[in-house]
Amino acid sequence: MIDNNFDRRDFLKVLGWGGAAVALSGCGNTSIEDGKETVVSYVHAADYVIPGISVYFNSTCAQCEAGCSISGRVREGRVLKLEGNPDSVINHGKMCGLGQAGVQHHYNPDRVREPLLRSGDKGEVITWEKAYALIAEKLNGVSGDQIDFLTGTVSGHLKVLLGNYLDSLSSKNHFVYEAVSPAVQRAANLKSYGMEMPRFNINKAKVVVSFGADFLGAWVSPVHFSQQYAEFRKGVDGQRGVLVQVESKMTLTGANADRWLVVRPGTEGILALGVVNALGAAGLQLPADVAAAVKDYDKERVSKDTGVSTEHLTKLAALLKERTPSLVLLGSAAEGYAHGSENAAAINLLNHVLGNVGKTVEASAAVPYPQIAPATGNSAGLRMVNNRLADGQSKVLFTYGTNPVFTAPAELKFKENMAKAGFKVAFAHYLDETALQADLVLPLNSALEDWGTIVAEYQPDGVQIGVQQPLMEKLHPNTLGMGDILLALIKQRRAEEYKSFDDFYSYLRTALLKNKSEFAAAGTDDDVYWNDLLSGGIINVGGASNKLAGKYSANIQLPAPAERDQNYPLTLIPSVTASLRDGRNANQPWLQESPDPLTTIVWDSWVEIHPKKAAELGIVEGDIVEVSSKNGSIKAQAYLFPGIHPDAVSIPLGNGHDAMGRYAKGFGVNAFQILSRVFDNETGELAMHETQVKLSKTGKRIIVVKEEGPVGGSQQGRKIAVTVSSDQVDLSEEV
Amino acid sequence: MKDIREDIAWAKINTDVLKSLESPRKLFWVIIISALTVFGIGVACELYQYNMGLGVANLDNPHVWGLYIATFIFWIGMSHSGTLLSAILHLMHADWRKPIYRFAEAMTTFSLMTAGLFVMVHLGRLWQFYYAVPYPNERWIWPNFQSPLLWDAMAIFTYLSSSILFLYVGMIPDLAICRDNIHTGWRKKLYTLLSLGWEGTDRQWRNFRVTYLTIACFLIPLAVSVHSIVASDFAMSQQPGWHVTSFPPYFVAGALYSGCAAIITLFIILRYVFKFEEYMTLAILKKVVRLTFAIAMVWTYLNLIEYATVWYSHDEVSKAVLIQKATGTYAPFWWMMNFCGSIVPLIMAFKRFQTNIPVMMVVSLLLNMGMWLERWMIVSPTFSHGYYPWTWDHDQWPSWVQWGVVFGSFGWFTFLFMVFCKIFPSVSMYEVKEMVYHRSLASKKLEVAGMQESGKGAH
Amino acid sequence: MSVSNLLENWSDFRHKHPVEDVPHDPYKWAMSIDLDACTGCNACSVACYAENNLPVVGKERYAHGQAMHWMRIERYWPEDDREFPDQGAQFLPMMCQQCEAAPCETVCPVGATNHTPDGLNSQIYNRCIGSRYCSANCPFKVRYFNWYDYPTTENVWPAEMTQQLNPDITVRGKGVMEKCTFCIQRIRVGQRNVKNEGRVLRDGEVQTACQQVCPTNAITFGNLIDTESKVHQQWKAQRVELAVDEQTKDTEEGGSDLRGYRILEELRPYPSVMYMERVRESAI
Repeated sequence: MIDNNFDRRDFLKVLGWGGAAVALSGCGNTSIEDGKETVVSYVHAADYVIPGISVYFNSTCAQCEAGCSISGRVREGRVLKLEGNPDSVINHGKMCGLGQAGVQHHYNPDRVREPLLRSGDKGEVITWEKAYALIAEKLNGVSGDQIDFLTGTVSGHLKVLLGNYLDSLSSKNHFVYEAVSPAVQRAANLKSYGMEMPRFNINKAKVVVSFGADFLGAWVSPVHFSQQYAEFRKGVDGQRGVLVQVESKMTLTGANADRWLVVRPGTEGILALGVVNALGAAGLQLPADVAAAVKDYDKERVSKDTGVSTEHLTKLAALLKERTPSLVLLGSAAEGYAHGSENAAAINLLNHVLGNVGKTVEASAAVPYPQIAPATGNSAGLRMVNNRLADGQSKVLFTYGTNPVFTAPAELKFKENMAKAGFKVAFAHYLDETALQADLVLPLNSALEDWGTIVAEYQPDGVQIGVQQPLMEKLHPNTLGMGDILLALIKQRRAEEYKSFDDFYSYLRTALLKNKSEFAAAGTDDDVYWNDLLSGGIINVGGASNKLAGKYSANIQLPAPAERDQNYPLTLIPSVTASLRDGRNANQPWLQESPDPLTTIVWDSWVEIHPKKAAELGIVEGDIVEVSSKNGSIKAQAYLFPGIHPDAVSIPLGNGHDAMGRYAKGFGVNAFQILSRVFDNETGELAMHETQVKLSKTGKRIIVVKEEGPVGGSQQGRKIAVTVSSDQVDLSEEV
Repeated sequence: MKDIREDIAWAKINTDVLKSLESPRKLFWVIIISALTVFGIGVACELYQYNMGLGVANLDNPHVWGLYIATFIFWIGMSHSGTLLSAILHLMHADWRKPIYRFAEAMTTFSLMTAGLFVMVHLGRLWQFYYAVPYPNERWIWPNFQSPLLWDAMAIFTYLSSSILFLYVGMIPDLAICRDNIHTGWRKKLYTLLSLGWEGTDRQWRNFRVTYLTIACFLIPLAVSVHSIVASDFAMSQQPGWHVTSFPPYFVAGALYSGCAAIITLFIILRYVFKFEEYMTLAILKKVVRLTFAIAMVWTYLNLIEYATVWYSHDEVSKAVLIQKATGTYAPFWWMMNFCGSIVPLIMAFKRFQTNIPVMMVVSLLLNMGMWLERWMIVSPTFSHGYYPWTWDHDQWPSWVQWGVVFGSFGWFTFLFMVFCKIFPSVSMYEVKEMVYHRSLASKKLEVAGMQESGKGAH
Repeated sequence: MSVSNLLENWSDFRHKHPVEDVPHDPYKWAMSIDLDACTGCNACSVACYAENNLPVVGKERYAHGQAMHWMRIERYWPEDDREFPDQGAQFLPMMCQQCEAAPCETVCPVGATNHTPDGLNSQIYNRCIGSRYCSANCPFKVRYFNWYDYPTTENVWPAEMTQQLNPDITVRGKGVMEKCTFCIQRIRVGQRNVKNEGRVLRDGEVQTACQQVCPTNAITFGNLIDTESKVHQQWKAQRVELAVDEQTKDTEEGGSDLRGYRILEELRPYPSVMYMERVRESAI
């Protein structure tokens, strides 16, 4: 853990909720419904509610899947700010911008507040009783395999309950869909290391070579990796860590690299094998099969294929050979091709060759209760649901935590297919694109009002189960937690079995207390234990490690770099930004107004073009360009960006909503829409980087709304942000 | 060239000037109404800005100041010529100033009052402006006496009150003439009140002379200091393009320059509107034009000095601002300012044009525009191209609200000025009489001397 | 204050050196930012929005340069003519440098911006009349003016969003200048708490919001006087001194293996924020 030994809350115990119904409303907490102020006399307030003094409640961040533990600052019954929970092994008290914007998810003025039933083009407000009755009615006479549940990543007790509900419907159709997920990598890792997500110890490596893994921005667990990165920069054995990033479009991580190597899109695997070859040439002992596999990847050929100079290739190999241990990371940029799996295998091979497996790539702990382990998503889930909808196999569709109408490529025609289902239920926080297509929209509690447990996929140290507890009373009286809804629905089927649970809270409490003996000293009083658990906000479980695979295959068949299509000469790189990601948080104004770190653009989408290419095409900054793929086109402002391969253009994902409220609707364009239907050969994942496009000017030009000024990133020779070469500083004496 | 007739009867002077106070011509009403309309637009813009915040002026970070400050300096500058004509030339016994100093003095006062408005309009929280006033208070909270802006507020207030006093004191004998010649209505009461029982006794004249001279002496350093202090707003700051030692004299020269140009404009307008051809003669115009030309050359010199010191200094940041002015988005305005400020006045060097009223009207307007542009070019480019390149912003232009207020200020000034001319004598009657008397006396002496020389004196 | 008092105690009124003028005791708040650790992730900036009730101005206002980010992340590219920025971009978190001889303080006509005894450049919103002279004179341009009435006419916090606002500090209306305060509300709470215990704050007991959230601990904040504090030790290790305008790094031979510097130091504002140069590996 980084030196964050101070806990600002020394004088204030971090508290847990005593129960679901603690009245914390204070002055100023207006009941939205009737406009009346709910004033609770502090004479009767709970002990820890002191006007003017904040208390902190721990919970778990639900803004992405990393599962950071958060500490919400609550005053007079209102949550004000989210801070990191220092005890968490994932985030050690730190946060990212996205996580902090969770309060804007909670207080968002565009949340759904009532169950809505479609009548024509409008939503009609109905009661929960009616909504439940309607679901029961619609499910009546529908067989289990005609009922589909499409969700985002789910874990913890919600996943258990969801499984039970599907069971009660005798349906097996739970599809998990994440628009942006490391699904190819999971499969590749399983082959290379024996598990989907091993632990990556950036902090133990002296050299990190990342093939498009934006671990400081949006990859897997960015807050955790950022902290490791800081340690890595401070150095292992006093030697400052060196980061080399290989990708076609600069990510935030690339922007922080000591050497950013731009490669021709799709040739990451070739470069990886080229490095293996160069390592062999530099004197590293290669296993015979590996040596045979890479013998064709000599420097000249690799340099020609990838565009990386032989000089850099030699230097990189020398560095990797000299400084051990190192770590090679594999990210979305490398896996987003039809040959993504092969790319991934080649890159993972590097870790084996360098002897990093077991040192910087370590076995992760297995979640001791598989039923609460996260059900991770991929695009295969979407494809299956989509096919079922198209074929009319799906009669009733439930969606939760995912927005496929927005994120599915237009070519899949998900929106049209969804209409074929007889009854669509969306569990939603906002009226997003998918909820708008649903027949019934059920309003959910915000993540800061809800109960639950969250188990992150990436576990850096043992297994940390994040406890999610309400940080304040519900803002809107007619929203419900997902768990509560599922419980109510399950009671329609198995009333007897679940009658002892009034709500999801009691279910959760019972379930966690049942396993108390495994988490805490036996004999602890239930209430004491429960209180401690809520105060801590996390449950750390040891648990056996997965076993690292020692074997790997050197049999990697990489295709030669693809020839450029004359009609569609550019590769579209849909970039995943740290704040907007797949767009589910696009309605949080802090994130919209947070400039993109690299382009500094706010509140919009843009097309990144290398200045050389732009000059060739006669495009200048602010030109509205039409980006056309075989599957459609979108128009967005051009931004001249030096950190991109001239044969590629990049559009960030996440914006371009035509629903989701005032902060999201109408800002930017949705690059998901024009993605081509190309899939990874091995896993069948959507190959996000395989869309070929052409650019044309529309003749319109606007002023790009961005943070940087007219001279862009130039310092005009003034000493403002200074860089020094590592051989000119002495870091050993530093604090 | 025709100058004021020496044989003009004193009674005629009275009637001529007093006539300008009565029965306004149609043109007068046209001017008043258009002035009020323009002013009304300005007021509407200000009200909108007051309600919405200064953002509607399209100011931003880093462009925190804009036309308001530029126009403020412009109006302060305008005020200088009145003092120049009435006080400095008074001390120098330049008698040609006498028919024109009154309106110049009024111009001083009204342009100061207009400038004051801009200080207010510019404030983000106008309703709290009194925080800048050192009023006694229980908690001993004073304004910050280190701030040039505070010096500014004080200097302007002092200058304004002194100018009003000077204008008023100098008008007392004329007000008595008005009182004696106008017999009806509120005007009578007003003049009676304001003339303070002036009867033209010897003692009154003696005291009057001393008072007038004292205020004149007091006003001159004030006039110099007020624009030096306005210059300090910039010179005392640290910003490139502003942090220039020569700014105070440069500002004072610029102020006199724009003031003189404005005098030419108003001279021509008054001469026409109030039919003052007899008093505002072309000979006087010629003198004013020559004076303006001289000041224009001083200003040009100081301007060149500023460029040269920046160019040959090692202050790369200031140099970058200068280059930006000449080549960046502001370049058209910057070149136009140099053209209007330094090239156009060369016309005034030609005798032929010095008394050509249409040419002089155009020239004086161009000079004024040049001087207004000068102020803008001092204020804005520095913001667009300061120390910190990340915050550079070359493309910020004032919104219609800012333009509206700027135009409104011209309406306000014109309105005040025209009202003044209708209520108070815009030509100093007693001083013109003095002038005519002294001149006739002098020429009589000459005549006598000439006759004696020719030997015709003896009978 | 009588004239005789003024004359007798002239040396008290005379400012010899603004930094050494009033010795800060027991606190002098300062910061150091390690640019080698900063990744430009923007978490600090969002934390600042959350902690300090900063309005989100929206696209149109942003386009007009009216954004209110007290903490802004600047992104610089290398300035040689290389085709690709192959050593990455350089990020620089920029906020009020809390200068010891602050150019903004001297020019405010009403004294709304002041130096506090603990070395902060404070802004008194109630006193501000919005002349914007402070911003005009700020070389770093880190002061942000309320060009609109964000809480009311702009409705920046619609409906329930108001409940997120931090009650420890105000929500600023139109016409007021604002800027980074080093989270003064946190400092003051901390100072009062330890005052009751009769001691001074220890390092780490007060954290700024940006420091607290920074995933790479690039931002260090603390009491420069406290020799135990990390910020003091960092300044010392980099041999950066508060009251000089040229550091060892620039003047002494062999000083160049240090990497602490202050931005626009030559203007002598004596900033309280030390930056540490970004390092790039020479072997690759």
